[in-house]
Amino acid sequence: MHRKNGHPSRSSAVLEEWAIMTKYVIRRFIHGLISVSIVIAIVMILIYGLMNKELLFSSDPVFTRVGNNKKTLYMYARWQDYGYLKFENYTTWMQELKKSGKIDEDTRSHAVILGKTSAQDSDLTKEYIEKFTEEYTKKGFTVKRLEAVTELSGRIAKGGEPAIFAYKDIPLLSRLGTYFSHFVHIDNIHYAKNVEGKRGYTFTLHDPVYGGKKFSPAIIGNGTEYKYLLYFDGRFPFLHQNLIKIRLGESYSINQGIDVADTMIEPQGGYVKSMITYPTGLKEKSADDMHSAAYVAGSRKTSRMLKARFTDDYTNTKTVKNQRSKMGFSFVNGILSSMLAYLIAVPAAILMARKKDKLADKIGTVYIVVIISVPALAYIFLVRAIGGALGLPTAYDLEKAKLAMYVLPIISLALPSIGNIMRWLRRFMIDQMNMDYVKFARSEGLSEREIYRKHVLKNAAIPIIQGIPGTVLFALVGALITERCYVIPGTGGMLVEALAKHDNSVIVGVVLFYALLTVIASILGDVLMATVDPRISFTTKDR
Amino acid sequence: MNNEFEKYGLSEEELFARVDSRSASSEKITAPRYSYWKSVFRVFFRKKINYFILGLLAVVLLLTYVYPLCVSYDPFANITDASMKHLSPGKAIAKLGFSLHSMLGTGGQGQSTFDAIWFGSRISITLALVCGAINMTIGVAVGCLWGFVKKIDIFMIEVYNIIANVPVILLVSVMIMILGASFWSLVFAMCLTSWLFIAFFIRTQVIIIRDREYNLASRCLGTPVSRILTRNVLPFMTSVIVTYLAAEIPSYISYEVYLSYIGMGLTEDSLGKIIQNAQTAMVTPGWEFEFWAPVAVSAIITVVLFVAGQNIGDAADPRTHM
Repeated sequence: MHRKNGHPSRSSAVLEEWAIMTKYVIRRFIHGLISVSIVIAIVMILIYGLMNKELLFSSDPVFTRVGNNKKTLYMYARWQDYGYLKFENYTTWMQELKKSGKIDEDTRSHAVILGKTSAQDSDLTKEYIEKFTEEYTKKGFTVKRLEAVTELSGRIAKGGEPAIFAYKDIPLLSRLGTYFSHFVHIDNIHYAKNVEGKRGYTFTLHDPVYGGKKFSPAIIGNGTEYKYLLYFDGRFPFLHQNLIKIRLGESYSINQGIDVADTMIEPQGGYVKSMITYPTGLKEKSADDMHSAAYVAGSRKTSRMLKARFTDDYTNTKTVKNQRSKMGFSFVNGILSSMLAYLIAVPAAILMARKKDKLADKIGTVYIVVIISVPALAYIFLVRAIGGALGLPTAYDLEKAKLAMYVLPIISLALPSIGNIMRWLRRFMIDQMNMDYVKFARSEGLSEREIYRKHVLKNAAIPIIQGIPGTVLFALVGALITERCYVIPGTGGMLVEALAKHDNSVIVGVVLFYALLTVIASILGDVLMATVDPRISFTTKDR
Repeated sequence: MNNEFEKYGLSEEELFARVDSRSASSEKITAPRYSYWKSVFRVFFRKKINYFILGLLAVVLLLTYVYPLCVSYDPFANITDASMKHLSPGKAIAKLGFSLHSMLGTGGQGQSTFDAIWFGSRISITLALVCGAINMTIGVAVGCLWGFVKKIDIFMIEVYNIIANVPVILLVSVMIMILGASFWSLVFAMCLTSWLFIAFFIRTQVIIIRDREYNLASRCLGTPVSRILTRNVLPFMTSVIVTYLAAEIPSYISYEVYLSYIGMGLTEDSLGKIIQNAQTAMVTPGWEFEFWAPVAVSAIITVVLFVAGQNIGDAADPRTHM
């Protein structure tokens, strides 16, 4: 595929090679996905199975305040929130029954009263407890009754009211199944329950957000979760969609109710207000992003403010902000620092290899040794101290974003990569220099410069080129110490933060994200290497 | 017969002399005497800079393991004395007189920074050495088998692909939450999967030399795999293993510092813990030295360990023994 395909037989050979490569890539990708799901299973065992569930409450102020049976109920409710188990309280079950119309308020209010012990229950209560037990045991739940905790005087102690609840641990396989079945969410017109008007998709050439006069194609859904499924706007990459959403896992304590993927890609910083015409025609200066409108059932009934602005229940909008997302910050830093690293390290490695055992090589070796062995923490703080003394900003400020604040983090991130690239490129070049073809080229009268630039470097760079997709993709992940040191609102600290706050679904989501990046980076690296080096082929007979 | 020799004008005695048994020894191929370890030391000390590095290594190890035995150190001895806290080296020397204890100033609890650093580095270096020993032993043993037995290879590659994707930081923090942040639980956490990466590296090295002619010949002669591994393969890899270990041990120290920095390290006052505690001092004008002293010492320790190991690794390569 690297040759010009003029000749018919050659072009068919190229096609064949393409087909083989595509097959190979797909096979590798499927294989990678299987590995990734096993990784997720291991992580789930680690965090849901091995970790002590009670650690959740170690810094919870509510936990220390509630007592007795209330504490137990609180613990189970929280465990449900964090995804450890399924939990149902008898009182909420009764309310559900009433809501669905199976019992009336009178029965509910009588049946819900529990005796201090099971022997003191009224007949009506006994009947409903039996029903509750039967229903949940059938579903595989364990039903537990907490007897009243009484003080010496016989009065019920604080939080000691009797309670009945059912709980069920979620088995690994069903947890894994649920997770992956929710991974890709495709919006459909049956999402909203009671939507006004006819369900369906409409295609328009004139987006109503822009007043319906400007030419801007959009697909609008009714009955879907999001109103605008496909639209254009002035922000990169201009074409946006709300149809397919990747769900890595809903956060509980870090960014409550928001998916990990959204936490990473949501813009940060201050609001950007502009004149907005709401669907009712009301004009107002606001930061609402009308394109992000999502369905909230009955929202206009409960809020007069929303009723004045919206003509349907697609009222939940995100806001336009002026700063990059977490991932955006990490990516900009990562990419720029990698570019800087390649720009410095490649010429430096060539110089080291050419002047082997001379001064330049020795200086370079000292640098490599120091960078490899010294803890990253030490030189990152050193860069910050030196940069700070020179007057460069040492902390990110979302309010007053300046270009100068990128300088020190990029230098800090580039330092180790420079060392790494220098180390390996020098090694590969010196290995190549002892090859016969170099001696031959020299005897043919090629200049040293030509030999290095055209032959040695090309061959030595192949393993380095394989790493480029990984460098680009892992720029998304961010760097923990650098981001902490310079207070960058990036993705680097997410895993550690989630671990500290026991936000299990965030842990799983972040690990899945990392693992997917690894799989994709290694495949892309091999493909890139095969594209650059014609000697590498994916046909089985060559391997 | 006689006539034939006379043709050349030589007597029979001149042509043929009786050979005594001692002269047969000259048939032996002689070579200079070669002892592997002697050559390692000869090559190592040929470079004069290695004397210096070895000297530094000795100083670091003495300060780490012998110094704490000679002095008594109580980090909380001056905790109530406000005038002893956060002293810069200059002030500490002026106040206490010049001594090892005062030369790096004092920390937030009034403790001597110098003493704190070396008591801390004893924990950190021991941790690194123990982890290095465990990981290297398991890693080399598994890696040799992994490279040699093709059936294991297919299975282990899958295991590697999966385990390499589980973030180490997650494993470490889960293990620490389960077992507590003690020395041995951190050792366990850091050894749980790290050997796999060493094993993968060794596997690649084994595969490179597995099918060389002399190993093929050994196998044809019926040498058992265990003997080929211990006699043919392992000695060949000594320098590779030493070089790898030289990078590995400082990396454990760095990792311990990193873990402490993000708040997942030991509860004991290791180097990382000292650096973490001094973080607040770092941003206070006049107190920065408290932060930089342990950072600089940890940098010196890791560089010395790394360079000493690299140079021993170079000397351990038989190809440099010419």
